[in-house]
Amino acid sequence: MKLGKIAGALALSTMVATTLVAAETVKIGVQAPITGKYANEGQGIANFVKLIVEEKNKAGGLLGKQIEVVTCDDEAKAQKAAICAKKLVNAGVFAVIGSYTSGATEAAQTTYYRNKVLQTSDGTSDSLIKRKYWTFFRNSFPNSAQGNFTADYFINVKKYKKIVVLSDYSSYSAGLADSTVAAIEKLGSKVTFRGKIKSGTQNFTAILTKIKALKPDVIYFSGYYTDGGLIRVQQKQLAIDADFVGGDSNHNPDFIKLAGKTAAGVDIINVPSPDDLPYDAAKKYLQAYEAKFNKKPPSIWAVVNADGLRVIMHGVEQTKSFDTKKISDYLHGMKDFPGITGPVNFRADGERIGASLLVYTIQKDGSYKVSFSK
Amino acid sequence: MNKNTIIALTFIIVMAFFPLIADSAWLGIGITFLIFACVAFSQDIILGRAGIFNMGHAIFFGIGAYATAILNVQFGFEIIATIPFAIILPVIAAIVLAGPIIHLRGDYLLVATIGFNIIFEQVLKNNPGDITGGPNGIFGIDVVRVFGYELFSDTAIYYIAFGLLLITLLIIRNLDNSRYGRALFYINKDEIAAKSMGINIPYYKLFAFALGAAIAGAAGSVFAIQYSAVSPESFNFMQSVMFFAIVLVGGSASLPGVLIGTFVMFVLPELFTEFNEARYLIFGAAMVLTMVLRPNGVWPASFGNIPKYLKEKVKGAK
Amino acid sequence: MDIFLQQLINGLTIGSLYALVALGYTMVYGVMKLINFAHGDLVAFSAYVGLTVFTQFFGSGATSFVSVIIIFIVTSIIVAFVGVLLERLAYRPLRTAPRLSAVVSALGASLVIQNGIMLIWGPNMQIFPADLLPSTTWNFGGVIISYTQFVILILSAVLMAALYIFINKTKMGTAIRASAIDQDAAKLMGINVNRVIVIIFVIGSMLGAIGGLFIGIYYRALTFDMGWLYGLNAFIAAIIGGIGSIPGAMLGGLMLGLFNALIAGYISTEWAETFTFVLLILILIVRPTGLLGEKTAEKV
Repeated sequence: MKLGKIAGALALSTMVATTLVAAETVKIGVQAPITGKYANEGQGIANFVKLIVEEKNKAGGLLGKQIEVVTCDDEAKAQKAAICAKKLVNAGVFAVIGSYTSGATEAAQTTYYRNKVLQTSDGTSDSLIKRKYWTFFRNSFPNSAQGNFTADYFINVKKYKKIVVLSDYSSYSAGLADSTVAAIEKLGSKVTFRGKIKSGTQNFTAILTKIKALKPDVIYFSGYYTDGGLIRVQQKQLAIDADFVGGDSNHNPDFIKLAGKTAAGVDIINVPSPDDLPYDAAKKYLQAYEAKFNKKPPSIWAVVNADGLRVIMHGVEQTKSFDTKKISDYLHGMKDFPGITGPVNFRADGERIGASLLVYTIQKDGSYKVSFSK
Repeated sequence: MNKNTIIALTFIIVMAFFPLIADSAWLGIGITFLIFACVAFSQDIILGRAGIFNMGHAIFFGIGAYATAILNVQFGFEIIATIPFAIILPVIAAIVLAGPIIHLRGDYLLVATIGFNIIFEQVLKNNPGDITGGPNGIFGIDVVRVFGYELFSDTAIYYIAFGLLLITLLIIRNLDNSRYGRALFYINKDEIAAKSMGINIPYYKLFAFALGAAIAGAAGSVFAIQYSAVSPESFNFMQSVMFFAIVLVGGSASLPGVLIGTFVMFVLPELFTEFNEARYLIFGAAMVLTMVLRPNGVWPASFGNIPKYLKEKVKGAK
Repeated sequence: MDIFLQQLINGLTIGSLYALVALGYTMVYGVMKLINFAHGDLVAFSAYVGLTVFTQFFGSGATSFVSVIIIFIVTSIIVAFVGVLLERLAYRPLRTAPRLSAVVSALGASLVIQNGIMLIWGPNMQIFPADLLPSTTWNFGGVIISYTQFVILILSAVLMAALYIFINKTKMGTAIRASAIDQDAAKLMGINVNRVIVIIFVIGSMLGAIGGLFIGIYYRALTFDMGWLYGLNAFIAAIIGGIGSIPGAMLGGLMLGLFNALIAGYISTEWAETFTFVLLILILIVRPTGLLGEKTAEKV
C-alpha cells in the first residue's frame, strides 16, 4: 500500500532532480483564454507576459536563469482550465499567470495549490480568496469593493430609484451582482429586479421586454462585454429609456463595436484604464507594449496580470530562491511594490489591497471620459 | 476471437508498464486515454453491439463524475464511498431516460438522446438547489484515500483507471460469450427476426443502456478524481458526438477498433499540438475520410460475418 | 397586452430564422434520410462570408439598398457552392454505406467547416457592421418593431411561400417529392436523383445563407462555433414540424421561436432552453413524426 506513495515520491524527486540538473532555464506558465470569446483578453495577457519576460531575459534572466514561458489555452472554460493546470504543473513551472476569468482561475486553483505552484490572476470573484491558499495572489481587486463603489454611486451620486441588476451565471458575474445588491440594500435602498442571462445566447429581447414593464431608471450589467454590448443595443431597440451601467468586464473595445451608436452615454465602472494610470512604470511599459505589438493592450486586465508577474519575479530576486513557499511569505509581507497599476500590497489571504475605482462614460466618438471618482 | 485475445493481452501488458517509462506529461495523457477508452467501450456496448443510436452517452459519464464531485465536495463523502453512487445513479438515469424512447426508430432515438444530453447540460449549468456549481462546475475535489493513505500522484490515478479498464474488458468478454451478448448482436443484425425468435427487445436494449451507463459512470468518477474539478462543458453534446464517432470510426464491436478510435480522438491531438489550431479540422477531415474509405470503421469486427474464403468460393463457383 | 405582443414579435422573428435554416435540414432528410449536421455550420459560414463581402467591397458606410442585395446574392452563391461541394465529398460516396457512416461523415464535415471558419477568420469574435439595414423602429402603442425584424418577417414569408409553390407546382418540385418518398421508384420513373439531390443542397444552402446573413445583421456577434447551436435549434424545429415535411419545417420554426420567447418571457429565462428540449422529447415520445410529418406505414 505504501507503494503508491513511494512511487509517487520517487517520480516527483526524479522530476525535480532532472529539472534542477537541466536547468539553465526556469519555467513560468501562462493560463489564459487564447481562443474563444475572450480571446483578445487572453492574447493580451500572453503578450504582456512575453514582453516582461523578454525584458528580464535580456537583462540576464531571473537569478541568472533564462525564463521560458509555457502557455496553455483554457478557452475561458473551467474544465479546460483544470486540464491546463495539470499540464502546466507537469511541465515544471514554478508560477502561473492565470487566468482571465474567475471561473477558469478557480478550477485550476486547487491543482496549483496541491503542487505548490504560485498563481496570480485578475479574477475578481470573492470566492477566489475563500480557501486562503498561500499559493494564490489576486492582482486585481475583489467584487465586493466594486459592489460597494457601485452602490454608493447609484444611491448617493446618481440617486437612482428603480434599479435593475443583471448578471450572467458565472461565479464572477453573479458574485459581483450579488455584492452590488447587498451593498445597495445596506444603504437602505431596494433593487427592483435581479435577473440572469445566459452568456452567449445573443438574444436578450425576452428578458428586456419583461424589464421594460418595470420602467427602470438604470440597468446594471455585471457580466462580460460580449453580452453587455448586445444588451445595450437591444435595450435601445426596445425603446427602454434607462441608463446603462456596466461592471468592469464591459470595459473592452468590443463593447463599443457591438453597441455601436448606442454606446454613447453608457457608464462603465472599473479601475483606471491603462491610459489613465498616473504611475511612471505605466508609461514605460505601455509604450513598450505598443511598440512591440502595434496596438494597445486590450484592457487593464492584461496590465494587472503583468504586475502579478513582476511581483513574483521581484519575490524571487528578494528571497534569492525559487522556493515558492519562501516567495509567498515574502510577498505577503511586502510593502508598496511600485506596480504599473499602482502600489502593490497583499493581505495574508492573498487579496490585493488598495485599489481605486472610477466611473467612465463613453462619449459619442467612442472614447472614455472619467466622470466620477472618489 | 483468438487474434483479438492476443491483441488484448499485448495491450494490457504494455499499458501496465507504461507509467514506468512515461514522463509526467505523457502519464496524464495515458490516464485520459484509459478513462476515455472505458467510456468508448461502454458506448460500444450500446451503439456497436446493440446498434442503438445513442448520442447522449456523455450524460452517464457526467452523472458519474458529478456524483463523485457533489457527494465529496458538498456532502463530505470520502471518494471511495462515492464510487457506488457513481455507478448506480447513471444506471437509474439510463433506465428512466431510455425507457420511454427505446421503441423509437433509429433517427428519432438519436434526436431524443441529443435532447436529453442538452437538458442534462442545462440542468448542470442552471444549478438547481445550488448543488451542481453552475457553469463553472465544482472544484476542489478531494484525493482518494484508502486505509488512510492518500493516492494522489498521477501514477496512482493511472493504475486506478487501468484497473477500471481491465474490469471493463472482462465485462465485455463475458458479455460476448453470454446470452445477453448474443441477444444484442442478434437485435443489431435484424430486429424483426430477433423478435420472432422470442427475444424481448426492450428488455435487452435497456440492459445494454444500463450496462453502458454503469461503466461510463465509473469512468466519470475517475475523471473527477484526475482533475479535481468537473464542469458542464465536459459532458456536452460535443463529447457525446466524440464517443459516437470513436465507436464508428474505430469499428463497432471491435476491441482493437475502439482502442484505435480512442487513440485517434484523444491522444493524437496531444501529439499534434504543433498544429494546435488546425487540430479539429484535421480531425473532422479524418472522420469524413475514414467513413468514405472504410465505412465500417478502421478495424471492423469480424464476428458473425461470412469468412472471405467462403465468399470467394461462391463467386468462383459461378 | 403589449408585452405579450412584443414577445410575439420577437418570437416570430427568431422563429422565421429557425424556419429558414430548418428548411435546409428537412429537405435533405426527406430525400436522403440523412441528418446534415454540417448545415448549421454552413449557416454560420454564410454570416462570415457576408461580413467579408461587405468589408471587402463596400468598406464601411456604403450601405445602400442595392449593396445589401448584392451581398445577399454573392453570399448565397458562395454558400450554395460550398454546400454542393459538401454533398459531393462527404455524402455522395456514402450513399450505399450503412446509415451511421454518413452520420459520422456529417459530423466530421461539421467540424471541418467550423474550424475552417476559425482558421480563416481567426478565433476572436467578429462583429457585423451595425447599419446594414436602417435602424429605424416603429412604435405601435408600446410594441416596437424594428426595420430589421420587419424585413426578416416579410422576406422569410415570401421565401417560404416561393418554396412551397416550387415544391408543389413545378416539375422539379414533384421530382423532389417523389425522391423523398422512394428514391428507387423515382429512378425508375426516369428522375435523375443525383440532380435532385444537388438541387436540394443548393436551395437548402441558399436559404440557410439568407438565414445566416440575417442572424449576422440581427445579432451582430459572430463566433466560429455559433453554427451548431443554431443548427440544433433549427433541427429541433424541423422535427417538431415533422422532419421531411417542408410546411412542417416552416411551422416548426415559427412555433419554436414563439415557444422559446414566451417561456423566456413569462416563466424563466434560465430554463427556457430546457423547456424547449423537454417539448422535443415529449413530441418524440408521443408523436415522433411531428405535427405535419410523414404518415408512414412503418411503425416507429
